[in-house]
Amino acid sequence: MIEVKEITKKFGLKQVLKGVSFTANKGEITCLIGINGVGKTTIMNAIMNLTPINSGEILIDGEKLRKESYEKITFIPDAITMLPQMTIGDAMQFMKDFYKSWNQKRAAELLSFFKLKEDERISNLSKGNTAKVNLLLGLGLDVDYLLMDEPFSGIDIFSREQIADVFTSHLVEDRGVIITTHEINDIEHLIDKVVILDNGVVVKSFNAEGVRENEGKSVVDVMREVYKQ
Amino acid sequence: MAVTFNKRDPVYVQVIRHFKEQIATGNLEAGQEIPSRRELANKLKINPNTAQRAYKEMEEEGLIFTEGNNPSKITKDEKVIGNVRDELILEAVNSFVDAIRPINVPLDEVVGLIKEKYTDKDGK
Repeated sequence: MIEVKEITKKFGLKQVLKGVSFTANKGEITCLIGINGVGKTTIMNAIMNLTPINSGEILIDGEKLRKESYEKITFIPDAITMLPQMTIGDAMQFMKDFYKSWNQKRAAELLSFFKLKEDERISNLSKGNTAKVNLLLGLGLDVDYLLMDEPFSGIDIFSREQIADVFTSHLVEDRGVIITTHEINDIEHLIDKVVILDNGVVVKSFNAEGVRENEGKSVVDVMREVYKQ
Repeated sequence: MAVTFNKRDPVYVQVIRHFKEQIATGNLEAGQEIPSRRELANKLKINPNTAQRAYKEMEEEGLIFTEGNNPSKITKDEKVIGNVRDELILEAVNSFVDAIRPINVPLDEVVGLIKEKYTDKDGK
């Protein structure tokens, strides 16, 4: 389990996170939702220790973050971090050389799942395919937790569907997934838990099936209520 | 197996309903093997935990059964299958009655119309 406890972060005078708490379980998809600029990416960066927090605590499986924690987690940013002149195959080889936890078998499976070709150059990929390669490079690692920043942002509907399909497949298996998004509409059925952020705090966090069952509301209904206030 | 889910009912309830419809219409037969939880999640594009929940509830309701590590199967209990059919019929009739009652149509007229429409293949 990833536990985020009362974390705060200030950039200059701007208090971006004002005490954010939530948990994300293994085997579940937790979705951080919020309109742009509410600090979703800052939270991801905080978990990955890319942005040091001012106060609060982050625990992975009950332990404070340390170097070894990052053998358990991977972060898939919203932009590809490989060199544009590389081919997909080069990028996969790079991951293989660089990470002990690289799972070539799963990566190959993802390649065919997404109908991508190894000899395609990163610079020639469409936006949708770039997002898929990005996901492939992250999912190819044998880690317990996957953090994905806006995996559905700015890509065509078919790529979105294909990426959504990954979540229901064995390729994600029983890992814990945290995704950030501002477009929840087409993935409501895929997620377990929803954490709605606004103005640096968690305004509401709930189980998606629970809110349908107990209140007869969709996730978007709840979001609408929250942002109307 | 394509199912359109609405966004305001629990997905697991909608999955169970889908199975009940398949059982009532005979598309799923007594004793027939059903997909694994993961396969179902993938086919219906739903969260694997939700598929798990649906199967757990169906198991408790006696709609499906699992022996050891074998794939789950549709119940062989004819009584349970009969009940599923009755339940779906009653549900459909109830929702029809709820819709027609506020219009204040005499029962005979409604029955006449039903007879007429029911045999009409287009339902128009």
